[in-house]
Amino acid sequence: MIDLINISKSYTAKGVKKRVIDRLSFSFPRDKNVAILGPNGAGKSTLMRLIAGTELPDEGRIVRHGRVSWPLGFAGGFNGSMTGIENIRFVARIYGQKTNAVIDYVHDFAELGKSLSLPVRTYSNGMKARLAFGLSMAIDFDCYLIDEITAVGDENFRRKSRKVFTEKLPHARIFMISHAMNQILEYCQCGLLISPEGVWYFDDVRDLIRAYETSNKARLAAQPAPLSS
Amino acid sequence: MEASLTTQVRVIAALVLRETRATFGTSQIGYLWAIIVPAAGTMLLVLLFSAVGRHPPFGASLALFFATGILTLEFFNKLSASLMTAFEANRALMAYPLLKGADFLFARATLIGATYALIMGLFFCTLIALDMAGPPAHPMALMEAFAVTLIFGFGFGATNAVIVSLLDSWRHVEKILTRPLIFISGVFYVPSALPASAREWVAWNPVLHAIEWLRNGYYANYDSRVLDKTYLVGIALCLVFTGLAGERLTRSRRN
Repeated sequence: MIDLINISKSYTAKGVKKRVIDRLSFSFPRDKNVAILGPNGAGKSTLMRLIAGTELPDEGRIVRHGRVSWPLGFAGGFNGSMTGIENIRFVARIYGQKTNAVIDYVHDFAELGKSLSLPVRTYSNGMKARLAFGLSMAIDFDCYLIDEITAVGDENFRRKSRKVFTEKLPHARIFMISHAMNQILEYCQCGLLISPEGVWYFDDVRDLIRAYETSNKARLAAQPAPLSS
Repeated sequence: MEASLTTQVRVIAALVLRETRATFGTSQIGYLWAIIVPAAGTMLLVLLFSAVGRHPPFGASLALFFATGILTLEFFNKLSASLMTAFEANRALMAYPLLKGADFLFARATLIGATYALIMGLFFCTLIALDMAGPPAHPMALMEAFAVTLIFGFGFGATNAVIVSLLDSWRHVEKILTRPLIFISGVFYVPSALPASAREWVAWNPVLHAIEWLRNGYYANYDSRVLDKTYLVGIALCLVFTGLAGERLTRSRRN
């Protein structure tokens, strides 16, 4: 579904160049949902943005078969002075969807009621996140990229999200970054472990989690003992 | 996979609608202002000059002569100013992978092109209706002039947008450099009537050629001695190439 061909990405901050991804080549399996695990700062979100195409690799190529979502859980692409409906309409248009159908879907799903006709700048963070999540669910992607999306909405909304997601699963793939292992186990079958030492692929998600936890322990052990505990 | 051209057309159409909404506000009359302001501004200038008893530098109508000059210049200025800020204004939208920098440029140029086609059309029709001008002598040449100005303004704006994204202070330099355009583009005078030495100098200014081209199309016997179509088209195409190639080459640096 997605092929990474020899990609590299580095960032320069204050004159220091840091290579986040170094000549990575990998073909993701077509029929499995992929977990991406690793310590903070190892490059999980960078990889996600590269897969989405919101960032370009410095070198190498990424081949996508099918329609890949933007990294979900992100609510930054809204124009604050435009209403919820206008923002929905815009995204529906760029993805070539029927605008009214998408508006109806988000209206039912995000439970924003009359607020949909208000400018997005009047929304709370929770409302924005619900709008963003509802909108991404309204558009049919072949591959959903999920970057830490656990904390959106109340219990009721979460239950609803899980239900919609489960409906999408038979014909869509998921790439997921999460620190909640139960969520990883629930959705993913395989995955990548990204750490400063390198990138490993695990065909079985349980092996992945085990390796991730071992590497975490090793990292903790390598640190000096805390002063007090 | 859908064809990338249909995707791009769709994306640009969505951006144009969004820009319209963002630029002209919520009110229905918002877009009307975009047409009224330049038209009324030009009218005011015409009235002022008529009041002090100035004769038209060419033809029978002072209003027509100014309009051909100032509307073309404003069209160019508006295009280049709006395109120059296209990347930063749409920064938040880079989160949607379907949108590329060039789409923002195309969308803004489409909107401004359509707006100015409307403004010029209305202005000239009003002059004709009020019997202040005759119909254009060569409508085809008029449209050519408009199209070349659009391409030239697009290229200039796109190139500046790329430079600004690499060097932020360029936006101030550009403002200083384009400031004298109103005096050196033949808005208030007929460039062909200038002394040869002055003519040689102003002929370097591509905006002057855009205005001369439009006047050549409107008047039956304007017979510009300055107009060099190849020069303007050449510069326009070079700038379009520089702008679009620059956009593509600096894309990974901008996001």
